[in-house]
Amino acid sequence: MVALIPWSVWIIFLPLLTGIFAFLFRGRGAQLGIVTAVGLLPPLIGLTWQVLSCGPQHYSVGGWGAPLGIDLYADGLSIIMLVMTALVGIGTTFYATGYYSPTGETKEKNHQQDPALFWSLWLLLWAALNCLFLSADVFNLYVALEFLGLSAVALVALAGGPSAVAAAMRYLLVSLLGSLSYLLGVALLYFAHGTLSLGLLAESVTSSPASFAATTLMTAGLVMKTALFPLHFWLPPAHANAPAPVSAVLSALVVKASFYLLLRLWFQVFTNTVTPSVALLLGILGVAAIFWGSVQALMAQRLKLLVAYSTVAQLGYIFLVFPLAQGKGTGFSAWCGGLYFILSHACAKAAAFLAAGTVLYGFGHDRIDELAGITQRLPVTMFAFGVAGVSLIGLPPSGGFIGKWLLLNAALAGGQWWWAIVIIIGGLLAAAYVFRFFSRAFSYVEQVPICRDVPWSMELTALALGLSAMALGIIATQPLAVMQIGAPLAGPVLTGGLP
Amino acid sequence: MRLFSAKLIIIVLLVALAGLIAWAILSLPFNGPSLRAQVFANIGHSGVSNPVTAVLLNFRGYDTLLEIVVLFLAVLGAWSLGMVQLPGPPYPAGLFLSALLRILLPAMVLTAGYLLWAGAHAPGGAFQAGAVLGGAGILLLLTEVRFASAIVSWPLRTLLSAGVLVFTGVALGSMFLGGRLLEYPRHWAGILILVIETAATLSIGVILTVLFIGGRPSEADRTLSVKSTGKRKDK
Repeated sequence: MVALIPWSVWIIFLPLLTGIFAFLFRGRGAQLGIVTAVGLLPPLIGLTWQVLSCGPQHYSVGGWGAPLGIDLYADGLSIIMLVMTALVGIGTTFYATGYYSPTGETKEKNHQQDPALFWSLWLLLWAALNCLFLSADVFNLYVALEFLGLSAVALVALAGGPSAVAAAMRYLLVSLLGSLSYLLGVALLYFAHGTLSLGLLAESVTSSPASFAATTLMTAGLVMKTALFPLHFWLPPAHANAPAPVSAVLSALVVKASFYLLLRLWFQVFTNTVTPSVALLLGILGVAAIFWGSVQALMAQRLKLLVAYSTVAQLGYIFLVFPLAQGKGTGFSAWCGGLYFILSHACAKAAAFLAAGTVLYGFGHDRIDELAGITQRLPVTMFAFGVAGVSLIGLPPSGGFIGKWLLLNAALAGGQWWWAIVIIIGGLLAAAYVFRFFSRAFSYVEQVPICRDVPWSMELTALALGLSAMALGIIATQPLAVMQIGAPLAGPVLTGGLP
Repeated sequence: MRLFSAKLIIIVLLVALAGLIAWAILSLPFNGPSLRAQVFANIGHSGVSNPVTAVLLNFRGYDTLLEIVVLFLAVLGAWSLGMVQLPGPPYPAGLFLSALLRILLPAMVLTAGYLLWAGAHAPGGAFQAGAVLGGAGILLLLTEVRFASAIVSWPLRTLLSAGVLVFTGVALGSMFLGGRLLEYPRHWAGILILVIETAATLSIGVILTVLFIGGRPSEADRTLSVKSTGKRKDK
């Protein structure tokens, strides 16, 4: 009986409904947020169990079935993304209950935002992410992309003030350009193959001019939305100016959504049209992103900007999956490494942004040079930032370490050692920008800056997310087993010297 | 000099992209594969006879549901920019405009109703009807601010979300009745599509009107509008 329940429907519609209710019943947002966070757990566990025991799950909406209707689809990749969304989502929800609590609203200028709108937009964004990770139809994925993009833009604008509105405007234009480019690719695909279903397209796409153009357009659009260097220009202002819980969600989840779609398309649909040289190009851009993002993070004057540039750098690593998957026998290792990196980066980056948001909330600014000694005021938050930093650098036993380790092994086993050098230098650069902030924050000063009271929920959620990034390094077997289900690449998981 | 070279790179890339798309389109067969045959084979079970409506509200109803959510989100996006004063003249609208509106408004509402009804068998449907209704709303807003400020609170929020809520209700309701998500019970399909489209028409009309305001209408305006003269329009 439990096996027949369409859990995916609930995973999509619960946050959708609570998001609309948060708009209708202003002032009930926090309760609805908690209802969503708790209520999503049973369907998620149910779906994970179905996928683990029976393999990938299909569900045809309306009973028509592809190609006439739309199918929902869940495999290991979807589960990983949904669980990542839930982890960060639950953390952000509890953080926001403190951030938008009535006591917080009256004191500071950065809390003039409308909490009811935040809750509504955030829950709808959650629904959009779940829609995207469960869809198996290229046009439905376009609608989900627009759904996601619009809610993300509105959340950035919610911070108020000229810089946030300017960042939101730029984000909106980039987001629209990205999804329109994707849509053009969808139109070409439909015209050439007469279907929109991912599964049927995978069977019929051959290396024809139309599929080549569609590959180019869709990849370009999604790469723009994922903010790969040099198309990252919109990300730092948008992520740094948003309210704290929004920054966390944007950096941890929203950019990963378009990358997820890129993975699906490249490894399941466009297997005949993508060439090693295009994969190499994406890898080189990824390397540029790692260096450029890290250097900018090193020079950033504000903490939130530092964390945002760190996202630019970390997104570079996941693009190394494309060239590394081309190596003989290393495909599955690169696939797992990339996914593990995405998962642990989501937890670590959400923790870092939430902690940075707490600093901004407590001290009223986030200028790094004036943050000396803040650990004396916010020890829990700074510990959370520290734990997150360990995973961002990629030190064992964090999840970031496992991700980098798998990518390193894929690079060395596939004879592409040059990527390994980049991964190692990238880790050192990450250590440099993380410690640059720590050297200020953890220093001892006599005159500690004044800090207003911070709700405990804000401090503890950042810590919980940081610790889950750490836990991912310890329980690596289960996530790796999930990643295997329905994976487009086969092969051994190259763990090398890892115990 | 640097700007020039950046522009040049962008122009070269765009020309290359245009060439690629042109090449792809020219290579496509004139009568390529499509789902036309499948749509017409199943239209008898869809509850409507207009193929566009059958695709939008039945075969791919899930897409349309999400699209209405996207429209709803557009309002939330505009509202996240902050509060605005309701637009409109601070003085009573001119005699000519008011008189014209009295003739136009009923006709527009009637047209919207016709488009909504016609959608089942001919071109039309919720989006077209909602657009007409939105036009009527904007005209009303430009002349009778009192109408807008009277419903600015929860009635407005209910109208904005009605389309999504009714659509979701029907989608989940048909699942509870033993079908799948959005699998309407066979004999009720026509009626249910009309119910969804009616709610969607209302919401789309109100959404378009509210977007014209360009921000969240301040509820404090209610007191302000009481002072303005002019007859109250029933709605």
